[in-house]
Amino acid sequence: MPAHNTDAIQTQLCSEIQTLLSLPPNSVLPETSLQSLGLDSLRFVSLLIIIEQKFGVSLIKVGLRQQDMQSAATLAAAISAGQTA
Amino acid sequence: MGGMHHSALRFTGVGALSQAILDLDGNLPETPLRSALDQISARLPILHGRVARDWLNLAPYWKLPRRAGGNPISLRVVDLPSDAAAEAQRLLADHVNQPLAPPSDHLSFLLIRLGNQRSRLGMVFDHRLFDAIGAESFLRLIDQTWQGNLDQIAPKVKLTEPAHLDHWSRRFRSGKLLNAGLLKLAEREVCALKMPAAGSSPRVRFCHASLTIEQTERFRQRAAAECGMPILLPSAAARAVLSLQHAIPIMPLPGQQYLVFTSASTRAAGQEWESLFFNHLSFLPFSIDVDPPQSPTALVLKLRDQLFEQMRQGIPAALQDASALVRICPHWLGSRLMGRMFKGRLCSFYFACLRETGFPERTFLGLPAVDLIHTPTAFAPPGMNLCMTTFGDRFNLVLSYLDGVLEDSAAAAMMGHFKSLLVE
Repeated sequence: MPAHNTDAIQTQLCSEIQTLLSLPPNSVLPETSLQSLGLDSLRFVSLLIIIEQKFGVSLIKVGLRQQDMQSAATLAAAISAGQTA
Repeated sequence: MGGMHHSALRFTGVGALSQAILDLDGNLPETPLRSALDQISARLPILHGRVARDWLNLAPYWKLPRRAGGNPISLRVVDLPSDAAAEAQRLLADHVNQPLAPPSDHLSFLLIRLGNQRSRLGMVFDHRLFDAIGAESFLRLIDQTWQGNLDQIAPKVKLTEPAHLDHWSRRFRSGKLLNAGLLKLAEREVCALKMPAAGSSPRVRFCHASLTIEQTERFRQRAAAECGMPILLPSAAARAVLSLQHAIPIMPLPGQQYLVFTSASTRAAGQEWESLFFNHLSFLPFSIDVDPPQSPTALVLKLRDQLFEQMRQGIPAALQDASALVRICPHWLGSRLMGRMFKGRLCSFYFACLRETGFPERTFLGLPAVDLIHTPTAFAPPGMNLCMTTFGDRFNLVLSYLDGVLEDSAAAAMMGHFKSLLVE
């Protein structure tokens, strides 16, 4: 799985979240709070599985911190760190 | 959902009914409520529909009448003294235990006014018409209608579900995946309470508890820390199983696993009105070894891993896909086949954990809304549901059980232990 830069990860992640939640294009920005999007347990798990498939990083194995889950930007940083670990 | 309705009718005599009870501060007048229901009924013909079978592709669907007349929603009003809360509770329990009769065979309201100080509005609904979140959205629709917003909302409501039995090969693949999963689950005997004797038609009883805002927030934080992510389901389900294990002596019965079916919402975000009607649910089974007893943290991680594994395999989506196929099968046959597979013990209990709410408001027809709880009847044998719903920033807990499956004292013990595990 190729390493992505954080900006590219952010963009792709926003797009994946929009698709997952059936939201219109450009409605999820890197800084948008994930909590405000109403991600329930199943959708959050789906998002982590998408991250495993698209970016090759299992965040659950790497260890996810509370601050990593604030937004697409913080998740992207965690993915980037996981790819280089 | 048709299968559940059939199985619930067979075991409980009341079908897959549920009741959403709105607790209001003040005296709710009958006229504006009745007027809002009349307007909604006239505007949404779906309320006049019924389940029918499409004989071309054999799938059941919701058939709308050619000409809808009258209002199929019943409303009964009872005035009680302000200190008759126990009597109100009894009437509401009776309300959900009564089979709905035509023309009100999908929706029935009971308004109880306790003096001039308090009102309790019970809405019994057929689960084929709404799921729990849809029911809360319907209460919101009544309030929005009272505020004069029905014209803006009604065009968004999806009026009918097509039979849409297409994509055969995909559905068969999903069915195969699901069947393999169910057979694997059925390999080990399920530890469950005994059903009441056949032929009796027992009532469904309820035990209720609430968490405060602070307790709810503390549990959310603990669940996130236990799972390593902001999800509630594994932590809540683990504590539900532990409370059953602690409070109810089912160990003398043979069984190697607790099997807990949990509902999973498939509703798209922001589609409240579009997905008001019908069910937007799938289900996930969790299997937990009966022996030895486990600590909450160890159990949470096991359930979290099962959740991930099932999501990776696409079980919730496969269940939705395959259920359209299974609908061809008559419900009596479907429930008999499932019963045979699991030797009559489909699950230890059914667990619903709703973080979403369809009623975010704090007022209803101008009165402050104090609480909103659900009293679902039992779906799957043995007839025990544990339901965790959100109102405002706190959780409500309701244990529903068939009379004869559990003693009231055992239900209270289970609920007490469940709450203590959530708030510890």
